Amino acid sequence: MPKLTIDGKPVEVAAGTSVIKAAQTLNIPIAHYCWHEGLSVAGACRMCMVEIEKNPKLQIACNTPVAEGMVVHTNNDKVKDAVKWALDFHLINHPLDCPICDQAGECKLQDYYMNYGLYSPEMNQRKVKKSKAMSLGDRVVLDQERCILCSRCVRFTTEVSKTHELGIFNRGDRCELSTFEGRPLNNNYSLNTVDICPVGALTSKDFRFKQRVWFLKDFETLCNGCSTGCNVTVSYNQNGVFRVRPRVNQEVNGFWMCDEGRDIYKHTNKEFRLDQVIERNDQVGGAAVKGKPVALAIQEIGKSLSATVKKGGLESIALVVTAQYTVEEYEALFELFKNTVKSPHVYYWKNNEEDFDSFDGLLNRGDKNPNTKGLSDTMTKFGFKGTWEDFEKQATSKSFQYVVVAGPEDQSAYPDLEKKLEILNKAGEVIWLSSCKNEKFKNFKWQIPMKSFLEKEGTFVNFKGIKQNIKAGMSIIPTSLSLQEFSKGVFESMGGMA
Amino acid sequence: MENRLLLKHYNEPGYHTLDGYVKFGGYTALKKALKMKPEDIITEVKNSGLRGRGGAGFSTGMKWSFLPNNNEPRYLLCNADEGEPGTFKDRYMMELAPHQVIEGMICSAFAIKSKKSYIYIRGEYYKPYKIVEKAIQEAYKAGFLGKNILGSGFDHDLDVYRGAGAYIVGEETALISSLEGKKGQPKLKPPFPAVQGYLRKPTIVNNVETLAAVTWILNNGAAAYRKFGTEKSTGTKVYSVSGNINKPGVYEVDLAYPFKDFLENECGGMKEGFKFKALIPGGSSCPVLTAEEALKSTLDYENMASLGTMLGSGGVIIIDDKQCMVDLLNVLMHFYHHESCGQCTPCREGTGWLEKLTSSIGKGKSQLDDVATLDKVARHMMGTTICALSDAAALPVVSFLSKFKDEFEYHIREKRCKVKGNCHAQAHH
Repeated sequence: MPKLTIDGKPVEVAAGTSVIKAAQTLNIPIAHYCWHEGLSVAGACRMCMVEIEKNPKLQIACNTPVAEGMVVHTNNDKVKDAVKWALDFHLINHPLDCPICDQAGECKLQDYYMNYGLYSPEMNQRKVKKSKAMSLGDRVVLDQERCILCSRCVRFTTEVSKTHELGIFNRGDRCELSTFEGRPLNNNYSLNTVDICPVGALTSKDFRFKQRVWFLKDFETLCNGCSTGCNVTVSYNQNGVFRVRPRVNQEVNGFWMCDEGRDIYKHTNKEFRLDQVIERNDQVGGAAVKGKPVALAIQEIGKSLSATVKKGGLESIALVVTAQYTVEEYEALFELFKNTVKSPHVYYWKNNEEDFDSFDGLLNRGDKNPNTKGLSDTMTKFGFKGTWEDFEKQATSKSFQYVVVAGPEDQSAYPDLEKKLEILNKAGEVIWLSSCKNEKFKNFKWQIPMKSFLEKEGTFVNFKGIKQNIKAGMSIIPTSLSLQEFSKGVFESMGGMA
Repeated sequence: MENRLLLKHYNEPGYHTLDGYVKFGGYTALKKALKMKPEDIITEVKNSGLRGRGGAGFSTGMKWSFLPNNNEPRYLLCNADEGEPGTFKDRYMMELAPHQVIEGMICSAFAIKSKKSYIYIRGEYYKPYKIVEKAIQEAYKAGFLGKNILGSGFDHDLDVYRGAGAYIVGEETALISSLEGKKGQPKLKPPFPAVQGYLRKPTIVNNVETLAAVTWILNNGAAAYRKFGTEKSTGTKVYSVSGNINKPGVYEVDLAYPFKDFLENECGGMKEGFKFKALIPGGSSCPVLTAEEALKSTLDYENMASLGTMLGSGGVIIIDDKQCMVDLLNVLMHFYHHESCGQCTPCREGTGWLEKLTSSIGKGKSQLDDVATLDKVARHMMGTTICALSDAAALPVVSFLSKFKDEFEYHIREKRCKVKGNCHAQAHH
């Protein structure tokens, strides 16, 4: 392993490592636009110039492999001057329209100008004009004038998504990024180009102009859109969640995530949520009674369950679960059913199982549940084996007094939801636990608001068996419960029966 | 005195056909080469001291010896994308003696064990393309190309590829990109073409004149070639000369030939009424020399380097006293701005900036500090990009400003031209 020094600090890295990566291990920042760890080296932006002793010219750190005894300077006057000028060349034809640019606040041109620039511009000639707000596809918009032609997005569509929609056309300062004719940027990974765009050239149609980035807070969690479990960063503020971006995890998702996963936040925002308890009151003709305090509702549910248990009869209470909750939640709920309710009727509600094995070759999987493996493992642990088919067989006509359902958080992943709801309804009085509202739930006895994956913590086990944690990053519906809280409440109101 | 080694028979009618070429000793080098060991050919070329005639002047034998010693397929590419403003020697050579180049290519390919080569010819060169194409067909028919050449067991195929009109494709890695069917823009080095070039296989790219010289060297031996020129600049060089001189054209003289003699004898001196003012010795990318510097210089790699310029491709541009340097620089900057591939930021943005600055100075719409800005921009474009186009655009700027600053300042201060009075910069475009 070659040893070298960067800015006087010694470091030893594997042979073949580039100087820019070696510097990263020392936390020495080197400015760059075109270089991206997940893509090939373009060497075009010329920002990462460093001085390597015994080398007459400055070298680009991204394409220079380390060598034994190499002495690198990233911060002397010669390098500073070169970086300043490289930045200026990026800026001379830039429209400087930061006030109306969606990237402002997280733009590398702004960042580097503050770090390496701070000069008065000498460019007093007319700027090159290019087109603005061009739609590249269903989700991405391009501003040609802001584009610094770093080719990250082009390399992404060539090397990662392998969909080849983007190219740089024309020459010199007439160069333009664009899609090939008849091939819009509509692949399921297109929004990654927005993430890796270091400037405001590529913006997301979903996110642009919704929020200024400095009004957003970030927290790290997982995508719950499928069984891959991509690591993501969620941006939110008091008005809700605004975007989801991938976070690096080489073991799971590398640098990327799919466009489908970008929408996972949508069902978590207030307008889609079940924000209060809804009870079907048969005494007033089955009308919905809304707004009962959750604690009171849980108490009543506990009492009903405990009365049913006392009355006896093995088939009195059933539990139906979907694979959209955390391992910890399943454990709490199964604990309740095994030891307190003492019902063996626990059934696993699988959606579109026929698609579970489909895979697009990159990240997106057909199993649209984040915790399929976690659920089946926990069921095995508790000795529960029931499947939806078993439930359907049992559920012909009011064979259960109550059916507790941990319903899907993301209902769009359950295309046959309506059909399943009918069967549930037929099977008994449904106590529906759900984070989202739906008119179709109106026949259920109880609808209890549950927390979305952004509001609770716990473990998801991905398709490979990798255990990862989600975090309680924010609160959207303060009265909503996790399955642990629900189980605990029911347990207590059942008098802690054992 | 002209010393026509390569151009010796160029005036013979029919020399561009196979019969004409063979009549004057054509394809004897090939016959000789096929009996030699490939390594010996490389040694012979190395010993001749031949330096690449495309512009960089790198030792040809040395370049060949960088090829990895393995059994990978390898390619020989002839760089006939002659785009350097002021240069037109390769066109002349391909039109008048295509077989000389083809023979040099087959010999070189044999030396580097390549079974396939291409002539990458500038798209605008339609006539040379037709001639070269026809010559290749003749060579195939005569058994100089194809399977088992002259019974030696050596197979070689040669194709012509026409460019699409980009100056940058004269840069060898850009040429390779273009030949691969990609956008013609330079590739990052390392890897170097000799290790990973065309189709990621070892590749050698040589200029037309270089390959023609290989033919001569194999015919006459390295020692004979070394008799001409100097220790470090051996042999002869073909120049294409333009400007207001009496005999513009293509000339071959020994390296280290005094420029003063070249101007007076070969070029026939300045046209009447024109005074020699400046010289761009090797194509538009080379820094300019004042008349005083030029008249003391000799045409070889070392002397040009000592004067801070380059022998380049041999595109000699003679500038007379009726030319406005601001206007001339603007023409050059227009060219480089138009031809920058746009890959590296300093070149993509800088070439445009340089053109705009020179244009506004020419139009008298500038302030004095624009001269300093022009110089600063050019200096910061140098040595910062993947290929040398950025330097090629910057070097003329720096040299024009250092040697003819008065003309620039006059333009700004007086809002007219020091040379012509009424100078319409940009009138050409």
